[in-house]
Order: sequence, then structure tokens, then C-alpha cells
Amino acid sequence: MAADLSAQMISSVKDAYASGQSLVISGQGSKGAWLPDAEMSAGGTLDVTGHSGIQAYQPEELVITARAGTSLEEINAMLAAEGQMLACDPPRFQPTQADGVVGDNASGTLGGVVATGLSGPGRPWSGAVRDAILGVELVNGKGEYLKFGGQVMKNVAGYDVSRLQAGAWGNLGVLASISIRVHPTWQDQCTLVFQLSAEQAQQKCLLLAQQNLPLQGTCWQDGVLSLRLGGHASGVAGAKLALSGQVMQGGTDLEFWANLRDHKADFFQQELFPQTPGTKKIWRLVVPSAAPLPGNWLSADDLLIEWGGGLRWLRHDDDAAVVAYAKSVGGWCWAKGEQMPIDVVQARYMNELKRAFDPKNIFLSPMVLNQSLHTNPQPNPQERQQHAD
Amino acid sequence: MNPITKNHTAVLQHLQRTLPAECLITDGAGLRPYETDGLTAIREMPWVVVLPETEAQVVDVMAICRQHGVPVIPRGAGTGLSGGARPHKDGVVLGLSKMNKILSIDPDNRVAHVQPGVRNLAISNAAKPHGLYYAPDPSSQIACSIGGNVAENAGGVHCLKYGLTVHNVLGVRVLTSDGDVMEIGGALYDNPGLDMLALLCGSEGMLGIVTQVTVALLPEPEKKSVILAGFKQVTDAGNAVASIIGAGIIPAGMEMMDKLAVQAAEQFAHAGYPLDAAAILIIELDGAEAELSAVTAQVIDHLNASGAYQIDQADDAETQARLWKGRKSAFPAVGRLSPDYICMDGTIPRHQLAHVLTQIDELSERFGLAVANVFHAADGNLHPLILFDANVPGQTDQAMAMGGEILQCCVAAGGTVTGEHGIGVEKLDTMCVQFTSDELDQFFRIKDAMDPSGVLNPGKGIPTLTRCGELGGMHVHKGRLPFPELERF
Repeated sequence: MAADLSAQMISSVKDAYASGQSLVISGQGSKGAWLPDAEMSAGGTLDVTGHSGIQAYQPEELVITARAGTSLEEINAMLAAEGQMLACDPPRFQPTQADGVVGDNASGTLGGVVATGLSGPGRPWSGAVRDAILGVELVNGKGEYLKFGGQVMKNVAGYDVSRLQAGAWGNLGVLASISIRVHPTWQDQCTLVFQLSAEQAQQKCLLLAQQNLPLQGTCWQDGVLSLRLGGHASGVAGAKLALSGQVMQGGTDLEFWANLRDHKADFFQQELFPQTPGTKKIWRLVVPSAAPLPGNWLSADDLLIEWGGGLRWLRHDDDAAVVAYAKSVGGWCWAKGEQMPIDVVQARYMNELKRAFDPKNIFLSPMVLNQSLHTNPQPNPQERQQHAD
Repeated sequence: MNPITKNHTAVLQHLQRTLPAECLITDGAGLRPYETDGLTAIREMPWVVVLPETEAQVVDVMAICRQHGVPVIPRGAGTGLSGGARPHKDGVVLGLSKMNKILSIDPDNRVAHVQPGVRNLAISNAAKPHGLYYAPDPSSQIACSIGGNVAENAGGVHCLKYGLTVHNVLGVRVLTSDGDVMEIGGALYDNPGLDMLALLCGSEGMLGIVTQVTVALLPEPEKKSVILAGFKQVTDAGNAVASIIGAGIIPAGMEMMDKLAVQAAEQFAHAGYPLDAAAILIIELDGAEAELSAVTAQVIDHLNASGAYQIDQADDAETQARLWKGRKSAFPAVGRLSPDYICMDGTIPRHQLAHVLTQIDELSERFGLAVANVFHAADGNLHPLILFDANVPGQTDQAMAMGGEILQCCVAAGGTVTGEHGIGVEKLDTMCVQFTSDELDQFFRIKDAMDPSGVLNPGKGIPTLTRCGELGGMHVHKGRLPFPELERF
């Protein structure tokens, strides 16, 4: 239901700014399990799901503008009707409760897509969420309603505050409206599968990435490399012929990539039940595509590789081994449900940037930028008070 | 920020003690090339230019400047069009042109690691043996540096399909004014924490000094096709653009030129443009062969349906180069028509093109100054070139005033005052049209967060509220009176 609740959002933030009350910005909660929820209970909730509705959409302009609370389903449906899509193909996770029960059918809001900055299987070829953002309107921590960027692709007026919101996890303000670039849907698509070891699959992906192919996704798991081709029909047909893999049955392929993107694939099932005995921690590793694969310390069953080698999911309980591996290959890793690791010096500047938007530190985000909080996950109340000053 | 020291001698001695002599320029003739960038109308003679050869030397220069409270004006190749590298009377120009090494080309990860002074085109040349290239191609690509591209978030003619600098830079090493060196990103598809890489792109040297860049490389397109289409009506050309994009085709490049620009370019470059056209489109398509021929045929159908009266298709490299030559020489060609011109850089939603061009025609008549329009039609970036004669008293001011009004039209049409050239010093006043005082204030707080001492390129990019307040002829922004709450200080 479309409604403009920006006045209420501004007034909630102004009240919080005046009183020092912390706020937790919430959408549908579909990505709630991705970061630690420690400390979040200290704040009041600012639910933005009511602030919704598509504000502008002209297909030939290749951009859609919608209020942040608009559901991803509504946006996807609107785009699909015009033969367009969000090229960054953001995941549609389902909200989970503490006991692992899957919530209702919600799959996230546009604001949540931007705030979390998580991109789908096509990221190396079709760009990330941040790449698609053209403009945002937001309420900063002082309750000021600000507009940055716009609806045009080229725009270098002022600092790029819009893209800075992608992956900021609500640290900098309440997103109110977002203009995001859209892309024509592929005229045709197909998925080819190859029986290959992880090493063979990696070599193949590296070679293919250097050629002109309509690649839109790669996934290796359990001895099978799946390649998604998408684009103009003749380009897909040509690539299909050139690559000569086994074609995944039409329809099955759509489900395969959606399940991978939304973590409904078997590999991720234990995400839903992290407390169950025998489940291992799930790690997300972003590494250079050509980085060496993990050694024998990791069972091959516990590895899933996307993004042509650049995104690797590991299931493993030995934190030190995973972290050492990620560092040794020049990447970074993040265990689902835990604090995102941030370089100490960079964290200091990020915290200053947060302060620039949110001087009283009223927005409680699960992604903690303050270094002293980062190294000490449970700060004493006095310390928190100092940061709020 | 610290009070600016006027004691040039102490700063100079400190620099001389720290850096090799060949890294310092202090003599008048040597300094002359640094008094301006590509915006030649605005000049300021620097009193010292430093050209460090290593990151360690950049760190030293920054430390000295911070200690003395002296502004640091970062500079790449000096091709910027908005005065972003204009010297400051008390500042040190920090040129990065000597840091011009390609450190490595990594074909497996499809990235190049380069120093900031490397020329844009040199990256593609170095990657060519691997069948790879660096996509953003600003018109100055043979000269402009990648560090400058990052500072300005440089564009080019292939942005709709391949993106701007921000989409093609994966990592930077950056030095802050406080002396911290941060390595942000790398050959990685995303990074933890706030996206400072996005913030740095287009920050015009006001947040940090880039000392190394990791750029993404793409496979070279298998084949290209270039199509030239002539139209009797500008609106028909505009409709053709909408119809092609609306059909789900993303051309590698799509450029529009109006009659005056076409005539100037044709006289200059003999590209074979139709002189009787009200507008032409130059469309580049690329991809694998089968796909390319199918899409080319589709595009030609759309052009015919939109009323193109002449369509030429070039499949060989030589003819393609000829068709592009006219477009690429449009600026110097227009320069031959008139003693002086200024180039505007507004961006508008594509469907507003006819409306904005009509407004530009009206302004042209009102001011009595001719305008040639060159338009990156694919991404809505409009470059009206206003022709004038600086020797006629008052005409420079008239041209500037007219340019300001054109940019106001762009903002009113839902666009922006600069698509790819940056604010620099040139467009400071137009920022007051586009942003409210709260928004400008937010920009200043970002600046303070990254550059607390305020030494990095002061006075560029973001106008002070005082400046906006003092602007004559206050603008009404989206029906609101600007700055009702403005504090005077």
C-alpha cells in the first residue's frame, strides 16, 4: 500500500535526536540473520515498511524510483511487466526467527536491498547493488531530509552520498527514497553443467571470463560447475554451441539460480537452524577470482564457489583456519551472524563518517563501525554514553 | 582548518630538505604549465609544484603541508574541465605525473594495478596482449591520468553499457591528510564496512590522495558496428534513442549532435555527416558476431521507424574511425567557428531532451549567442557549447550567465549540473541551485570526517553557505525558496 510517511520518519528521528533515544531501522527483517543482533535491543524500532510505493518509473529511462519500504516483490513485478529487472539481482531471503522458524512470505524491501548491499549471482558481470544506485533521499541523524544524486546515470555534483548508502546497514540515516538503475531482461537464458573438480572449474571460469561470452553466473559445488548464460538470444545460442556443456532443463535452471541467490539451496539449509547439533558455521569469503582454493583442511562438500571464483562459501568451525586462508589470498571473510571484520584504520574513518551523518549516534546498526565497540563487543554503558556525546 | 601560513619560505625549505631537487619546481617558466588545468579561463600561478616519485614522498609532502597548515592541490595530467586542479595562492600543487608505472597486469583476475599518474589509454594498451581493456574512455584518454579519472569519476562515450570510473575501479590506496594510508578494496567484488571507495570516486581530491589504483579489465569486444543516422527533426532523433533503449537494446555508445555541431565537425573532419540534418545519431554496437548482426538490424529498424532519412552502417575499422572522428573532434571544430566557447556539462533524463533543447534555443535567442549541442544520448549527458567572443565587452559574462541558466534548466528537468566534468571552481555557484543548505552542510561534514585539517584542495567542489546566500538572483529550487533558514556568518 503506497503511503508517504516521511513526515513521521523525520519527526521520529528529531525526537530521538532531542532525547538521545537510540533507533533501530527495520524493514521486513529478511536479512536479520546476517549480522549480530547484540545491542540492537537497546533501541526503539523505526519501521519503514509503511513508507512505500513506486514514485517514478519510465522504462526507457532505465531507472525506477521508489520509497524505501516498497517490497522487492512489488518492484520486481512492476519491472517484469515492462521486460526489465534489477541487474544486481538482490537476494530475497526470508525472515527467520531465533528458533529458526521461517517467517512469512516477505522477501525484503528496496531500502533493505540498498542498506545491506548484497548482490546476486551475476555480480561480476551485471554489477553490484552500489553500482546500480543513482540517487537517494534520506533522513540523517539530525532529522534532516536530504537528497543526493538523482535519476540520471552521470552525476558528479557533490560527493557520492548515494552509493555510500549501499552496505551501510543503516549507520548513516533512514533511507526514504531510492532511484536505482534497471536493465532489460535477457531475451534468452540457459544453464550449462560440467562435471569438474573445483580446480578444473576454477581454471575454466578464469578462461571464460576473459572471453566475450554472455556469462551471468557461475556456481561450483559437489563436482559440478553450472554456468548461466543470459542476454540476446543469438548471443546465448552462440555461446551454448561454443561451450558444449550439458544443458540444464529449462525451468529447473531458473529455480537453481533463485535458490542459490536466496540461500534456499541445500548447501545453506543449516543457516536456518544454526543451533542444531552437527551444523557448521557458514562463512562468506570474497577473494580474488584466481586465488588458490582452500587446501585439504576443508572438506570439498563444504565449499561452494560463485562469481567466477570471487565469492566462496565455506562451512567450517575453525575460525582461525578460515580467517588465515582469506587473508593469505588477499580477501576477507565474514561468518554469517557475526560482526563484519573491518580494518582498524578504515574503521576509524568510517566511524567519523557515521558521526558526520549521525552526530549523536542514534542509529543502532548491527554493523558496528566504532573501533572500540568493535574490539569489545559488549561495551560498558558509560562508554556508549561518551560516544553519544 | 588551520590558519593558512603565508610563510612560503619555511615551507619551501622544509620541502627542499625532504625531497630530491628534481621533484620540486619553483621557477616561473617551470611553474607556468601548472597555473591552470583544462579550464583555461581560470588561472592562478602556483609558487611551488612538487612532483613526488614514490608514495613515501607523497606522505612526506602531506606531512609538511599539514604541519605548516598549507593547502595541498592534487593534480593528475591537468586535463580536468572544471578547475579542480587550479592552484591555491598559498598552496602546494602536488602533481602525481611522475608516479606513472603500470605495476602489474593480472589477466586471471582481470585487473591492472597502476600508479595514479598512468594515462587512461596506457592501461588499455598494456592489457591488449591479453585481449583485455579498461572501459571508461573520457575524450582526453590519451592524456588524462587514472588518478584524475578517480578524482572526477570520469565518464566517456561508452558509459551506458560499461559504466563510469566508479564502476570500473575496484581498489585504491589512499593517503589522508592525517597521514594514514588505507588500502581500500582490491581485486575483490565487495568490501566490508562503508563504501569509501564509492565516496572517493568523484571527490575531486578533497578527501584523500590516491597513490595506487586497481582497475577492472574487460574482454575486448569481438566485433563492433557503427551506425550513422541523419534526422530532419531533433525530436525524431530523441524518439529514436527512446525507442532503441525502450526495446531493451543497450548500445555501447550513442551520441547525438545538432545541426551547428554537425556542420562544424564536418568542415573540420570530413566524416561524411549529412549537412542538411537537424540532428545526427552515431550508434556503436559491440558483441559476438551473431548477436551483433541481429542487434544491428533491430537498431536500423528503429531508426527507420523514427524517421531517419539517411542511415550509414560501417563494419570496417577505417570507416568506423572516420564516423567517430567527427564526433571526437566536435569541440575543436566548434572552436574554429568562434573565437571562444564554453562547454556545459548538464545531465537530463533522456525524455526531457526535446524540451531542454527548446529552452536552450530560446536562451540562445535571448542572449544572442549561438549554441552547438553535443549529447551523450545514451546516458543523458548534454554538452551545449556556447559560442562567444571574449574581446567583445560583456560577452564573456553573458556566456557564463547563459550557461548558468542552461544548467538551471537541466536541474529543473530532473537532471544535474555536472555529469562528468566535476564542480571544481567552475560550477560552485550552480551547486547552490541543486542542493539545499542542509545538503551542502552534510557535504562539509563528510569533508571534515575525512580531512579534519582541511588542507586538501580547499575551496573546490562544495560552495559555502555564505557564497550561496550572497549569490545574486536567488534561485527557486523545486518551488521552495532556497535557504530560508540560512545563518549569515
